[in-house]
Amino acid sequence: MNITRRHLMAGSAGLAGAALAGQHAEAQSRLNVGVVLIGPVGDFGWSHMHDQGRRRMAEVLGDRVNATTVESVAPPDFDRVVTQLVRTGHRLIFTTSFSYFAPTQRLAPQHPGVFFENATGPTTLPNMAIYNARFYEGRYIQGVIAARKSRSKTIGYVATFPVPEVISAINTVMRGAWSVDPSMKIRVVWVNAWSNPAREADAARALIDQGCDVLCSHTDGPAPLQLAEQRGVFGFGQASDMTRFAPRAHLTSSVNNWGDYYAERAKAVLDGTWRPTDTWGGLGSGMFRMAPFTNMTPEEISEATRIRDAIAAGTLHPFEGPITRQDGTVVIPAGRRLSDDEIRAQNYFYQGIDVAMP
Amino acid sequence: MTLFEAIILTIITASTPLLIAAIGELVVERAGVLNLGVEGMMVIGAAAGIAAAITTGSSSFGVLVAVLAGMALSLVFAALVLGLAANQVAAGLALAILGLGLSGVIGAPFVGVQRAGIGKIEIPWLSEIPFLGPLLFRQDPFVYASIALVVAVWWFLTKSRAGLVLRAVGENHAAAHALGYPVRRIRLLAILFGGGCAGLAGAYMSLVYTPFWTSGMTAGRGWIALAIVVFASWLPFRAMLGAYLFGALTILQLHAQSAGVPLPSQFLAALPYLITILVLVLIMRARRGGAAGPASLGVPFVPDR
Repeated sequence: MNITRRHLMAGSAGLAGAALAGQHAEAQSRLNVGVVLIGPVGDFGWSHMHDQGRRRMAEVLGDRVNATTVESVAPPDFDRVVTQLVRTGHRLIFTTSFSYFAPTQRLAPQHPGVFFENATGPTTLPNMAIYNARFYEGRYIQGVIAARKSRSKTIGYVATFPVPEVISAINTVMRGAWSVDPSMKIRVVWVNAWSNPAREADAARALIDQGCDVLCSHTDGPAPLQLAEQRGVFGFGQASDMTRFAPRAHLTSSVNNWGDYYAERAKAVLDGTWRPTDTWGGLGSGMFRMAPFTNMTPEEISEATRIRDAIAAGTLHPFEGPITRQDGTVVIPAGRRLSDDEIRAQNYFYQGIDVAMP
Repeated sequence: MTLFEAIILTIITASTPLLIAAIGELVVERAGVLNLGVEGMMVIGAAAGIAAAITTGSSSFGVLVAVLAGMALSLVFAALVLGLAANQVAAGLALAILGLGLSGVIGAPFVGVQRAGIGKIEIPWLSEIPFLGPLLFRQDPFVYASIALVVAVWWFLTKSRAGLVLRAVGENHAAAHALGYPVRRIRLLAILFGGGCAGLAGAYMSLVYTPFWTSGMTAGRGWIALAIVVFASWLPFRAMLGAYLFGALTILQLHAQSAGVPLPSQFLAALPYLITILVLVLIMRARRGGAAGPASLGVPFVPDR
């Protein structure tokens, strides 16, 4: 079932009483799951993939779950939407944005009988779990591929905001690139938006004009990749498989996969084994995967595949020491690796990245 | 192609939608109507344009539908402010929000659909001239259309009788009405022209600039167009200057970042608006009070019978 916020609100008054009465009879057999999305289901990126996850959950658990998606919920509307979901008998609610972290944390104690799950938040509560994917693993692979494909030895990065998630992604791309060729360089443009297609395209143009011939992007849409196609350079997709946007430029995409996690969590609620866990899954746990490698030679594909499998198996770790900041201070020596909390708090570029922090 | 040429080319493409939307709004405001809904009409043009282009497979049909969609939305505005003499600021803001919402509905089935953009026209011989050739004679049709629009609007406003009447309506609608000019009909035509231009600018976004649909893809360019009209002090060629200046600032900011020039990008992004305020202050000083724009701008008109 996929209903908009408006429908939910309109039918709410009548539904509330009916649902509460019917809920007890149904509660044993059927679980109502709510999914709150920050963007439209059709954004072809972040929210789209969460909705795909909801579908996958429904597929796995069949009629044991009944899922409701509420899309394009702006943070000011969040409380209303969640309260409504709770009233209509939803006992597991996924709030799928970092922007929802604080409000979820505030609402969870008010509804102790409901289990909350927030995507990409930093802390848990007794009835609130958090989950995220180790997207940096995909960035490392992008770096390796970029270093193989680049002639100008310069990667272009269309970045969003200077937050740790993006900064660590840029660091990891370069870590991957340097593993192939230590002379690789990167240029970064901050577009200060998650989605502003025209500005993303302008940023991509600027990067290409200044000699970048492989583009990475952190924004939600396919605009930079499309421009790479137009200008005859290479690029990577983000969130979903973007091959069709750039059949000649696309190298690979990081494809989010929340479905198996959603199914597992819903099953835990049904079985009574739900715990407020902190899940940060990567390639190994299938929280995301790499789209098929395209426009690469067989040797390049086999190298990328080997690195992907090594990361998934845990034999290659993108945050292995030594790690040195731009100013020369050592973060960790050789033989250590960054802890999860240290990765999540990364607010510095590595030495060798010739980009000023905005 | 040198980096300099590349930058100029990018600036021209980035400025064109701003210019088209601004020149339309300029005519509307010269007729004494303040339509703040440019963003809404632009985004609905973008949505309708790509929807029509994907459905029929024809880019030119998409452009036509985008223009009509912008006009249709401006008709709603006209009904409110001309028919009901509603507050123009409130109606314009409502129009912007309505357009953003409605465009999401129109565009929803076309999310993630890939299609080739409208290409560039190469004028034989002339486009071979070094430097000037690619800049002047190898552009997409919208760039030529935008320049033609500016010249046509300038000619209309300053050289034609109809333009004189339109300006009279904008300066003093009561006097124009007393002279027997159909104030509301003239304003309706101006509003429709503004809507059509905004729709055309939207088509540029979704059919040329980034040829796919995402909701809210105009990302505030309609508001910049409004600022350009003020910056231009309601003169067509200054609007062209303003559009290219605003476009240049956004592009140079990206290049500066990419080249590692230590300039705060946030400051450069805010610069167009600072310049607009500065220009407004200068106009007001030069005129020593009085109205900066057309005297009847934003005032509802009710004909006495």
